[in-house]
Amino acid sequence: MNNKKKLSVRSLIVRIVALAAVIALAVILAVIGRGHTVYFDNKKLDADGTSYDPFYKVEVFVNDKSVAKLSEGDRGMVPVMGQDFKMVLHITPKKGSKKVGSAVSMKLPYNIDGIVLNLPALLSGAAEDVYMDEFIPTPTAEEETEDVVITDEFALPSDE
Amino acid sequence: MNEKTMRKAKFGAFLSRASVPMMFIIICALCIPIAGLSPNYLVNEIVTRMGRNSFLILSLLIPIMAGMGLNFGMTLGAMAGEIGLILVSDWQIVGIPGMVLAMIISVPISILLGLFCGKILNMAKGREMITSYIISYFINGVYQLVVLYLMGSVIPIKHGSIKLPRGYGIRNTVSLLNMRQHLDNLIPLNIKGVKVPVATFIVIAVLCLVIVWFRRTKLGQDMRAVGQDMEVARDAGINVERTRIISIIISTVLAGIGMVIYLQNMGNIATYSAHSQIGMFCIAALLVGGASVDKASIGNVFLGVILFHLMFIVAPRAGAYITGDSMIGEYFRVFVSYAVITIALVMYETNKRRVKSMEGERLRLDQEKEGKDE
Repeated sequence: MNNKKKLSVRSLIVRIVALAAVIALAVILAVIGRGHTVYFDNKKLDADGTSYDPFYKVEVFVNDKSVAKLSEGDRGMVPVMGQDFKMVLHITPKKGSKKVGSAVSMKLPYNIDGIVLNLPALLSGAAEDVYMDEFIPTPTAEEETEDVVITDEFALPSDE
Repeated sequence: MNEKTMRKAKFGAFLSRASVPMMFIIICALCIPIAGLSPNYLVNEIVTRMGRNSFLILSLLIPIMAGMGLNFGMTLGAMAGEIGLILVSDWQIVGIPGMVLAMIISVPISILLGLFCGKILNMAKGREMITSYIISYFINGVYQLVVLYLMGSVIPIKHGSIKLPRGYGIRNTVSLLNMRQHLDNLIPLNIKGVKVPVATFIVIAVLCLVIVWFRRTKLGQDMRAVGQDMEVARDAGINVERTRIISIIISTVLAGIGMVIYLQNMGNIATYSAHSQIGMFCIAALLVGGASVDKASIGNVFLGVILFHLMFIVAPRAGAYITGDSMIGEYFRVFVSYAVITIALVMYETNKRRVKSMEGERLRLDQEKEGKDE
């Protein structure tokens, strides 16, 4: 009887530990698997009385892959996973000038889906709230049309 | 003489078991040259579909082992998998972590649904298949209530690309572009133009090993005993009802995980219809592989996937070539999948009655013999 009680306590502990492990795994997955879309702006930005001029050309590499080639006023994007973001920028500041390489790494905010980075401001050492902004998508016409949801496959056609 | 009769009976049993796969082999052998598809394309398609469907079909094996027939209730697990994927899509968890998280979310839902289904099936012993089929319709209604009305209003859904414009309910199609084929492409392998989803096959192989191992465990043995004869199993001290419920729960959980694997390959969720077809097609594929209502093996799963999907690929093209209308081929494959299920069920009932009448006949002969001896 006592043995049985011991066994059930042990199995209860094992179950609680297993459940806790699964919940912990789920939390870890939710953190490391969080997807963001990072947008790179090579645009002029005026903030706090300072003007950040765009570069002549910028090529953005993420995970050793070229993800965007930006001229003045261009925007590029890349979907990324997790909050640790690293990119390498090949910058041509002015027409005819030499290419300059720059590695940038930063923490992305967890709760923002689309993050806009203004590259001239970022590379000029501006504050995070200056170079970083949230991308708010405008719903497309397709998104605004209501889907016809068929829920009853046995439904008879109505007489209306 | 006795040996000859036994051999004849064995051959007859083999023929009846192999008749459906043979029929499909003949159909495919006829359709492949007519369809005119390249071997490379066919192999590529078959390999992709094996990766996509095998896990789901394997989930049907355990209830068959427990004598509960073909689990039409696997649709319940599929719905749980879809709910997991919808939530994960809204939370923007992408790639493999997103897939695994969707699986984790689906498990408790699948367990609850499996428990409910198992309890009802215990009340309808001997009529498990039709009962599970109707349960799937009932739960589909509950699923629609959750997905169409509660998601967005009670369950928070943030993204406009998932939510209906009215503010609640999920759209007809949810994109899984950010996890599309992530598992399939995890270990890339390309053999002469044939893309092999190695990681998916590893997951399927692990499940096969688990099933083989499970059959040898105490619970697995109990399930087989229950499947053979519930009364004898009960007399042997096995908790029949509990064992049957566990088999349905395992099947439902595996179906949920299988649905996540299936949908990551497809790259989108047909929110209101993906699950309703999946049960039927998985069961048809298993039966095409030579399984029956009371006997199925891992080999049946793979043979079934190959033959059933080979027909799926070649039939429309062959139909278009023969009749000039590809829709004929579409009709053909749909009608064949339902026909296979019907034939299998009729054959099962016929065999059951034949065995019963043979037993009765033997009993009568024994009694006559005993009467003569006296």
